[in-house]
Amino acid sequence: MDLGKLETDNTGRCRLNSPVPSVCRKEPCVLGVDEAGRGPVLGPMVYAICYCPLSRLADLEALKVADSKTLTESERDRLFAKMEEDGDFVGWALDVLSPNLISTSMLGRVKYNLNSLSHDTATGLVQFAMDQGVKVAQVFVDTVGLPETYQERLQQRFPSIEVTVKAKADALYPVVSAASICAKVARDQAVKNWKFVEKLKDLDTDYGSGYPNDPKTKAWLRKHVEPVFGFPQFVRFSWRTAQSILEKEAEDVMWEDLSTGDQEGLGRITSYFRESPRNRPRLSHRYFQERGLESATSL
Amino acid sequence: MESGDEEGVEKRRVHLRPDTLRSATPATLHLLPCDVPVNRPAPVGSFFTPAIRQGPEGLEVSFRGRSLRGEEVEVPPGLAGYVMVMEEKEEVLVRKQGFPQGSDNDEQQQELLEPPEAALERDFDRVIRASGSFSHFTVWGLETAPGPDAKVRAALTWPSLAAAIHAQVPGD
Repeated sequence: MDLGKLETDNTGRCRLNSPVPSVCRKEPCVLGVDEAGRGPVLGPMVYAICYCPLSRLADLEALKVADSKTLTESERDRLFAKMEEDGDFVGWALDVLSPNLISTSMLGRVKYNLNSLSHDTATGLVQFAMDQGVKVAQVFVDTVGLPETYQERLQQRFPSIEVTVKAKADALYPVVSAASICAKVARDQAVKNWKFVEKLKDLDTDYGSGYPNDPKTKAWLRKHVEPVFGFPQFVRFSWRTAQSILEKEAEDVMWEDLSTGDQEGLGRITSYFRESPRNRPRLSHRYFQERGLESATSL
Repeated sequence: MESGDEEGVEKRRVHLRPDTLRSATPATLHLLPCDVPVNRPAPVGSFFTPAIRQGPEGLEVSFRGRSLRGEEVEVPPGLAGYVMVMEEKEEVLVRKQGFPQGSDNDEQQQELLEPPEAALERDFDRVIRASGSFSHFTVWGLETAPGPDAKVRAALTWPSLAAAIHAQVPGD
């Protein structure tokens, strides 16, 4: 898989896709949606769609695609290569969501959680296939969150399509298995060839599986913590594992949108009755307060 | 600041090392919308600068997993920006002892910039020097660009107002 586009900029979202087989513009198609790399604290999350004409579904099944989790890396690579060979009736597209995009979404002023991000990305990919002229008739989705509400949302968004959202769809429907293979191949390759945005010396690329419970991953995080900047952008800052390491091993950061509580302003109620001009801070004129200006006589 | 110390603070003078203004090298500055309550060097050049992108709506970067939007702010004409640092106590003593080594030129400059009574440095006085100079810097806002209402932009209008209100009124 050519991830050159991702390598030029991996700070945001990156879409890659195969050419659309011409038969998919003529015949009704079945489309599968799946994701890879949802859980890890490191690297991108990849969303993929895979589609083929309903009439060729048996040919896709004949490739013996299966849930990507039950396959070895080399089996996945081989199956992806076969799907590329069958480019005359199988098409795919994927969105690589960089760890930076995930962090900044989840840690936004208005929290954008991973489920919403996943749903919107899946919706965007289905729409993308349709915009490219793919005649999408049926959509199968491996669920994120509750399948019922997710299905309802997708069905509302695409009323002309028959939508099925199910847990373990990647094991049940070959077209979802195919999507899961695309996603997993892309995710593995993206992680393996990750270009760090930061200029790091003595970078150790032995980060294990990237899952928070992997001791290798945890050790890597502890080793690469930087007291001011925290971690390289390869890390999802919004993960609890990352946050708790930062709390212990990095400097505090106080953001303007986080209310720190009014601890300093509050005192004993009796303080209002005591005459103590010394304790009352001398506030400068509003003009200076509004501009964040302070006199420098007492450095 | 402890309250018992207040009187001492009042009498304390702040001295500026004028020679450092000339030797200050240009610095790249970023003003972030958060506080990191510590003074320490940070690897800005390896973590922050390479991550800055020119997006459709201006500069983009992230810090600690939060998205920032930035814009350049120019120091108003007629003003120069300096990064000032406080000298450590020991350093002050060393410099005091070594003071006569300065050339005549330096001394003259000293007189020009400081009122004569301030030229006397006492042990409890503070001394600041310029560690860098700048004519523009980048202001970052959390998720949105700081815009024309940014505090720091307003702050930069103070010097011209200060000059106006402190100027001598003609014919007075």
